[in-house]
Amino acid sequence: MNDRPLVIDGVELKSRLFLGTGRFKNAQVQNEAIAQSGTEVLTFAIRRVNLDEPNQDSILQHLDLKKFRFLPNTSGAKTADEAVRIARLARASGISNWIKVEICVNEKTLLPDPIETLKATEQLVKEGFVVLPYTSDDPMLWKRLEEAGAAAVMPGASPIGTGLGLLNPYNLSLIVEDANVPVIVDAGIGSAKDVVEAMEIGVDGILLNTAVAEAKDPVKMAQAMKYAVEAGRLSYLAGRIEKRRYAKPSSTPTGKITN
Amino acid sequence: MTLTVNGQEQELHGICNVSELVSHYRLQDKLVVVEIDGKVIERENWEETQLRDGMTIELVHFVGGG
Repeated sequence: MNDRPLVIDGVELKSRLFLGTGRFKNAQVQNEAIAQSGTEVLTFAIRRVNLDEPNQDSILQHLDLKKFRFLPNTSGAKTADEAVRIARLARASGISNWIKVEICVNEKTLLPDPIETLKATEQLVKEGFVVLPYTSDDPMLWKRLEEAGAAAVMPGASPIGTGLGLLNPYNLSLIVEDANVPVIVDAGIGSAKDVVEAMEIGVDGILLNTAVAEAKDPVKMAQAMKYAVEAGRLSYLAGRIEKRRYAKPSSTPTGKITN
Repeated sequence: MTLTVNGQEQELHGICNVSELVSHYRLQDKLVVVEIDGKVIERENWEETQLRDGMTIELVHFVGGG
């Protein structure tokens, strides 16, 4: 495909799909899904080690660390301070200075807190992190996050894990139109169709997790998502036709043998 | 010495520094990160960081997440 690559923090990414690592039924399915998705960026969460079972699987145990970029999230944070604390822990692991800021207060909707997200982004940029904030799809907010030094902006399509798809394609298109950093749609994707829809709007990439992890066949869905990202991107670059109210024949009207 | 480790009160004896604490939980070969009283302790400082009664310690790692 004749296309400029997605670049974040100076890193050229061949795949425009970022994959989350939650909710897979086992490591084998997860790793096969990761492989089929073609992703180069994986997200993780930071949690306490279970001291009663210190040998419990850590997610990284089964992965070839050299093959991926890691984007730990700050899930569990309800304030900017908590997100900054989690980000510092993630960076101390030594595997990545990228951080997905995720600050949710309402357990039912998991909708992000935009004010705390902005505060955390400002602070983490000062501390030298590569910050990819996830928050709601408000175009003004995204300008502010970009000005704060976000490496990419990650508007949600719909609440995390709902699979409701793009609830506000209009807002998303405004963000894309004005953004000077990559736009990655994060959260709410339900199926390949949602991915194509977002990519056709012109977003630079997609971050998804549950849509693959909880699909009946996660490995197949991972593959579907890979193709959807590519199809959507191609369609965007190709430029779609205008929508018309009435039909326009695709067969030439001249030379018909009927009247 | 009484420490709060991952939210649980732990009575620990014969453990002086962070390195020993990590080994106590058999985590020395894992990708764990240590925080004491809200401050990250980098791995290269584990040996020299002494533990004191009443410290609040978090031992964290990466788990699946989106």
